[in-house]
Amino acid sequence: MSHPTEPQGFVGWLLSPERRGALLVAPAIFVLFVMNIFPLMWSFGLSFFNYRANRLTVPSFRGLYYYERVLTDPVVWERFQTTAIIVGSSVLLQLIVGFLLALLFERAFPGRRILLMLVLTPMMLSFVAVGVFFKLFYEPTFGLLSQFVSVFTGEPYAILATPTSALIGIVVADAWMWSPFVMLLVLAGLVSVPKYLYEAAEIDRASWWRRFRTITFPYIKSLLLLAVLFRTIETFKLFDIVYLITEGGPGSSTETIAVYVYRLAFQFFRTSQASALAYILLFVVIVLTNLYLYGVQRRSQEL
Amino acid sequence: MTALEVEGIVKRFGDVTALDGLSFEAGAGEFFCLLGPSAAGKTTALRAIAGLERLDAGRVRFGGRDVTDDPVQGRGFAMIFQTFALYPHLTAFENLAYPLREEKRPADEVARRVDEIAEMLRISHALGRKPNTLSGGEQQRVAIGRALIRRPGLLLLDEPLTNLDAKLRHDTRAEFKRLHRELGMTMVYATPDQLEALTMAERLAVLRDGRIVQTGTPEELYATPGDSFVATMVGAPPMNLIPGEISRNGSGPVLSLPFAELDAGRWRGAATATEPVLFGIRPHDIAPVNGERRGPGFSATVHLTEPLGDVTVIDLQASDSLVKMVLPEHEALAYRVGDKVDVEISMEDTHLFFRETGVLIPSVERPDQ
Repeated sequence: MSHPTEPQGFVGWLLSPERRGALLVAPAIFVLFVMNIFPLMWSFGLSFFNYRANRLTVPSFRGLYYYERVLTDPVVWERFQTTAIIVGSSVLLQLIVGFLLALLFERAFPGRRILLMLVLTPMMLSFVAVGVFFKLFYEPTFGLLSQFVSVFTGEPYAILATPTSALIGIVVADAWMWSPFVMLLVLAGLVSVPKYLYEAAEIDRASWWRRFRTITFPYIKSLLLLAVLFRTIETFKLFDIVYLITEGGPGSSTETIAVYVYRLAFQFFRTSQASALAYILLFVVIVLTNLYLYGVQRRSQEL
Repeated sequence: MTALEVEGIVKRFGDVTALDGLSFEAGAGEFFCLLGPSAAGKTTALRAIAGLERLDAGRVRFGGRDVTDDPVQGRGFAMIFQTFALYPHLTAFENLAYPLREEKRPADEVARRVDEIAEMLRISHALGRKPNTLSGGEQQRVAIGRALIRRPGLLLLDEPLTNLDAKLRHDTRAEFKRLHRELGMTMVYATPDQLEALTMAERLAVLRDGRIVQTGTPEELYATPGDSFVATMVGAPPMNLIPGEISRNGSGPVLSLPFAELDAGRWRGAATATEPVLFGIRPHDIAPVNGERRGPGFSATVHLTEPLGDVTVIDLQASDSLVKMVLPEHEALAYRVGDKVDVEISMEDTHLFFRETGVLIPSVERPDQ
């Protein structure tokens, strides 16, 4: 029963009400496909071919050759180690600082709201801003850190000059940016503890430590797990801050696996190897993400 | 012997005064009730005694020792919360053992005492379970057990039956009486329910707006309420309060109610009183007349009947007033809504209050007041 003024044929079929929803999301899906999904699949394909982005030779199929090369490359394992050190110490530092901040902000005190806003700011900044900020902060001649240290030693201090201190510099910058995130999660857990439980525990004469262990901790346990997993996934992909502050230096001491992929792809133009390594990283992240989602599910079942 | 002594305690929350000079004493081993409507300050009073609230004024003494400035842990009282406040991540066993943990007792002693108390409260079967898998009654008994296990000198109970269904309330009332008899500890029990207060308390205090209105045994408060507030708080259905005036004729003072004139000679103060008054009469002191009416009484219409099983509450309409009357169920069957009924008043247990202040006007028959 079609109305005479309704468009006929293909256009009419396309505009019919049951296809309206699909029609509306189509542009978004199209853009997503062209900009994300297609390049993703294409680079996956490239990881099986001998291809260099700066040469015009026709790519030839090499199967799993580049995966094998990447996995047997000692440099890759070195970069993995560097990444693991940064992830481990940064996440630990974020946990400690975030936790202490949450304990501080749990109770009401004058100026709490304003202070809370200030503490949350680092998390809202862009990576570039944080990177540039810390680069200036660590700068040996004018940098605040160097100036501060020289008050005591009389000499300028270049934190980025030695491998260990440069690693510390990176970890501090990353932890500075992301501790507020951990704090937010822990704070959400802390405020979800009913106050009467603490009162009951006081009546039962429990010590501070017992109260924490038996009442507080069970409420924040699952949120802490989420914080660790989420921060591990994010820090594992750490690129921006490292590239801006040290560019992986001195030497290759702060070069994370993500920075190495970048170098392989855009400085050495070993495109196939870079793709293969990127897919290995993606696999690791997917495994971690599934752990994270499992944690989220467990938490929602508990509540 | 006095165990707990609460003297003029004051607690303010901002502009709100929750406790306004509250004072009472509870004897050693006494079951003492705080009865009052919601927001009367019952919970705040218990929390103040426990030490969970800092006082603005007043002292709390226990066993002759001033504990006002002691921390909660130092007082050694136990408390049962309205919400039970069980630790949700611990099993019933661990909940019961919690107060013993800080005393660093050997594990076998803890286990023995938990088993003992679990058996006494009949929750041995549930010891391995977490609170959220327990029924309301089981949670309640775990909360009681946790409070009792340390054998505290003073047990504070904050409306512990409010979250239970009617049947369980009945059973638990009996349970509390049994526990009190067996353990002989001092108990202070806050409740808005006069039935709980009357059935369990050895003595009770009626609270209003953070003050004690009257203290006494349940019998005393029921028989001689000190003012109209206590009169309506104690007893169910509540006492009828009918506005009236005192006037005098040749033979003495007369109480004029909207629907009847009564001889007011039995009240001492009535001879001189000119203020408006409230006439208080309990629903079971009104009864229908068979045949001729001899004593004081009035005529009314049946407005509403509420059968409660063994008794029926009948709302009578006389002039513009509604008056409640209680009859045994079989007698009440004769009355239908709209029926005319002639009733008699038995005057011995009636009361007269000043309408403005609510204060009781003493009667001649009770010169002790």
